[in-house]
Amino acid sequence: MCTYILRRMVSAIAVMAMVGIFIFVLLRLAPGDPAAIMAGRNATAEAIAGIREQLGLNEPLPVQFMLWVSSMLHGDFGTSIFSGRPVFELVLQRLEPTLSLSLMTLALSVTLGVSLGVLAAWRAGGLLDRTLTLFATLGYSVPVFVVGYFLVYLLAIGAGWLPVQGYVQIENGLGGWFAHLVLPTVTLSLPYIALIARITRASMLEVLSEDYMRTAAAKGASAYAMLVHHALKNAGVPILTVVGLSFAYLIGGVVLTETVFNIPGVGRMVVDAVNSRDYPIIQSVLIMVSGLYVLINLAVDLAYTLIDPRIRY
Amino acid sequence: MLVLAGGGLLMLLVVLAVAAPLYAGDPEALDPFIRLQPPSGEHWLGTDNLGRDVLARTIYGARISLIVGLMSAFLAAIAGLTIGIIAGYLRSFDNLIMRVMDALMSIPTFLLAIALISLTGPGIGILIFAVALPETPSVSRLVRSVVLSVRERPYVQAAICGGARLPKVMLRHILPSTFAALMVQSATVCASAIMTEAGLSFLGVGVPPEIPSWGNMIASSRLYLATAPLTVLAPGVFLAITVLAVNLLGDGLRDLFDPRSRSR
Amino acid sequence: MTISRRNMMKVGLAAGAALSLPSVLRAQTAPSDARTVRWVPDGILQVFDPLVSTANETSQHSLAIYDTLFALDSKGLPQPQMVEKWGLSDDKKTYTFHLREGQAFHDGSPVTAADCVASVRRWGQADAGGKVIMESVKDISKNDDRTFTITLTQPLPLLIPSLASAAGLYLAVMREKDASRPVTEQVTANIGSGPFKFNEALARPGASFVYDRNENYVPRKEAPDGFAGGKVVNVDRVIWNYLADQQTAFAALQAGEVDLVQAPASDLYPAIESDPNLELEIMNKAGTNMFLRLNCLQPPFNNVKARQAMLHLIDQEAVMRAAGFDPKYINPVTSIFGRTTPYSNDENTGWYKKGGDLEGAKQLFQEAGYAGEKVVVLQTSDWPAASNAALYLANTLRKIGVNAELASSDWSGFTARRSNKGPVEDGGWSIFISDWSDSKFGNPLDIPALLANGDDAWYGWPKNDEYEALRAKWGDVDTLQERQALAREMQRLSWDFVGTVMLGHYVSPVARRKSLTGLVSVLSVVYPMWNMQKA
Repeated sequence: MCTYILRRMVSAIAVMAMVGIFIFVLLRLAPGDPAAIMAGRNATAEAIAGIREQLGLNEPLPVQFMLWVSSMLHGDFGTSIFSGRPVFELVLQRLEPTLSLSLMTLALSVTLGVSLGVLAAWRAGGLLDRTLTLFATLGYSVPVFVVGYFLVYLLAIGAGWLPVQGYVQIENGLGGWFAHLVLPTVTLSLPYIALIARITRASMLEVLSEDYMRTAAAKGASAYAMLVHHALKNAGVPILTVVGLSFAYLIGGVVLTETVFNIPGVGRMVVDAVNSRDYPIIQSVLIMVSGLYVLINLAVDLAYTLIDPRIRY
Repeated sequence: MLVLAGGGLLMLLVVLAVAAPLYAGDPEALDPFIRLQPPSGEHWLGTDNLGRDVLARTIYGARISLIVGLMSAFLAAIAGLTIGIIAGYLRSFDNLIMRVMDALMSIPTFLLAIALISLTGPGIGILIFAVALPETPSVSRLVRSVVLSVRERPYVQAAICGGARLPKVMLRHILPSTFAALMVQSATVCASAIMTEAGLSFLGVGVPPEIPSWGNMIASSRLYLATAPLTVLAPGVFLAITVLAVNLLGDGLRDLFDPRSRSR
Repeated sequence: MTISRRNMMKVGLAAGAALSLPSVLRAQTAPSDARTVRWVPDGILQVFDPLVSTANETSQHSLAIYDTLFALDSKGLPQPQMVEKWGLSDDKKTYTFHLREGQAFHDGSPVTAADCVASVRRWGQADAGGKVIMESVKDISKNDDRTFTITLTQPLPLLIPSLASAAGLYLAVMREKDASRPVTEQVTANIGSGPFKFNEALARPGASFVYDRNENYVPRKEAPDGFAGGKVVNVDRVIWNYLADQQTAFAALQAGEVDLVQAPASDLYPAIESDPNLELEIMNKAGTNMFLRLNCLQPPFNNVKARQAMLHLIDQEAVMRAAGFDPKYINPVTSIFGRTTPYSNDENTGWYKKGGDLEGAKQLFQEAGYAGEKVVVLQTSDWPAASNAALYLANTLRKIGVNAELASSDWSGFTARRSNKGPVEDGGWSIFISDWSDSKFGNPLDIPALLANGDDAWYGWPKNDEYEALRAKWGDVDTLQERQALAREMQRLSWDFVGTVMLGHYVSPVARRKSLTGLVSVLSVVYPMWNMQKA
């Protein structure tokens, strides 16, 4: 097990290195010049050239790359071209909102998605099952921002129950933190609830048709025991896989939700950084996110052993 | 049953889209003096923020959205298939290839797409590529796992021992087995491509503003949700129908190829 | 499974809380809601140094935290601000400035003449108008702590308006140690002597910035008048909360979560007006001109006839409506000196009837020998108004048989492409759209769009020596009447060689909650934050 984890860690570093090179090349091939953006809409070419020189953007690309790699190896994620602040500090500022939103979303979608999926599988073909299929399709096909506007209009402006936008840090009050996260979480969760419910339903149906389930039923096990103790446990692996894999998609969805609800998170920061070509931010954040992604999937793989004793590493 | 419903609906949409020039008006004709008008005899679904016909744009939008959806699904399928087969068959490359796929997969879809689009500026070609690229790893993983299990089966082993050349083994034995899983996966990719396109337009990096696409229309009309709701609803309803059709098709295909998961 | 999930979440939350621990230490007693104004600016503040960027957000940030020697009043006339009194020698070559008493920087150090001297020098290196002035400056020196002198080689009537930042970059007075940095190096200390203090600890780059009242600021006795007069701050704190999505900004304003949206989308005006708690108010009385630039180096617009064709083609009202501006807030602009400056005039504007003369434009394109060359119109995807205007423009060009093609990119890609002087096949361009505050069009020394010195001119690179000779005289002319006459001469030439084509003038009101009052109107897109009050 330990060698397995070690091996996975090594490959995680390889993955992060590849992401780093890929992103560096991609960004530098893209036209655009942070100096020109810095100088503003009506700046002269002369002013832009001066800034570019100052920022060290005139160095040849391989030199810039080596500089970046060597500082990364020293644990220095660089400084933002625009704000002049360390990228690591900026990411820390932005991490809490994104983590809160992602984890709340995961919690809600796993709880609701699994329950709905189990219920649908229990009464496959029934009214609930069909409603769920319809809901799942809607969850997929309505853009996040439309859902967001709708919820804001209904619950924040109309009823006045919840705030429209913004984020309150946990330490400034749990109530405010939670209230500001309700609408974004619900908005972001819809497609994931749909996805997880569908996967749960499918894998439950598969398990329910197994012989040992029929045996259990014949032995007179209650419906609850059958569904939860026997079937769900065995259907857990594919569900867990999907949850792990949706992490990358979740971060993607976070970008839109953060924009709609004005949550100062990491996703929004990267979009703004791409728009202004703030290279150090984009490079560092994407490397960190990919590292996190690899770690989460490792955690998921290890969690398999908890659900399914047959799996050993 | 599901395949028929989904496939039929999708075919209908394709026909509507292909035949657009025969019956729909000009989607690009604009007139700034008739912005955001309610439905009228001349403009059945009203006009958008540049005085363009919403109905014509919605119909033409089917072309763009279907092209983006189908092409990126196709691209991801082909690339994923090739990579998956190579990784699953030539074991010496397996580790390297799968780590590259991991790397691709670990970059969040939206952020990768935005970075890619900054290369060339918004356009349909780059959009398809940007949607297909992050979907490729999941397809290739799937194909690889099928290949791994298939190549151990006796009849494939027998073919290899019998001196069958690699391409022949692929074509005869491995491709058909992966086909089912591939179709199902492609349907998912197609649906998510259409949604990704809408999200990218919302962030201002989708297809260029003059090109009618549903995502683009919804995103650029979002300020008029209260004053001219049809500008958002018309493309929105079509988007939902299309995603529904694609999902139905995907479900149907899964049932067809994998009878065990058929709903009872 | 649920259990392991829950455990993971606990770990995650704990990690999140641990990571944000430093901000616990930073947390300060926040002022009450009634004394805090939440303000949604037009864009993200990215650059903090007023001499590094022409961005409006940067100027507005600087206006809050720095003070200026002179400031423009609501009529656009310079008035002393940090300066208490000033004198001019009989030969009109020596200016002596005496600073007001009681001025101090946010770090507690007093404002001295040495700080002012260094700040003027740095501005003179960065600002286009400043550079012109520096050519005539023999010496800038401090006499004592509160007095300094500028000695000129020749009389320069433009000196005082320029020191008031009438046209160019914002002449902020910084500490000497900040102002002695090179102009290409950003000053990020954010320490000025202005009415607001920048709250470094609460700054969230890309999201929000906090400006606290400077309780040690000594305002002038006069009532506020434009940027001039007493800068009295009646609230404790102004929070800039950048909201990327217009719909969200509007919803937040409706819900009372923010007090002011600086540049609401014009399509939201009707909704804002129908809300009993909200009001539109015009803070920028001068408005903004949208204009397009033509690439004078490449076909077809290297031919002056083709450029003149564009004058006839543009129907300003249609362009501005296509751009999405409210018809109530748009006006035609036919002078290269804008609509509201003292130099705006009607010389050589016979081409303007209402515009939209398709036949005339077609005729001129033919005379220019246009043979179907590709015309590339740059389109910026992240600036909706300009993007829609470009779309309309390309559509109109196609109507008269011009082979127009839109090249869409984000702002970054756009800035890279517009500096390309080559043909469109090699990544060059033909037309792009920009805008600039109307008030700035009164100074041809400074505004890039009013230069015509070929390769050195702004993107588009128009060249006209006769016009440049006239422009060189601008600083030497003494009276307003003479300058107005000169302006007419320049405009006559300008509308013949056509380096810039005006697309229209618009006024952009702010949306505010009715509880927020006392906004100060100015002739600029940069808004003051003092004097406001919250009920």
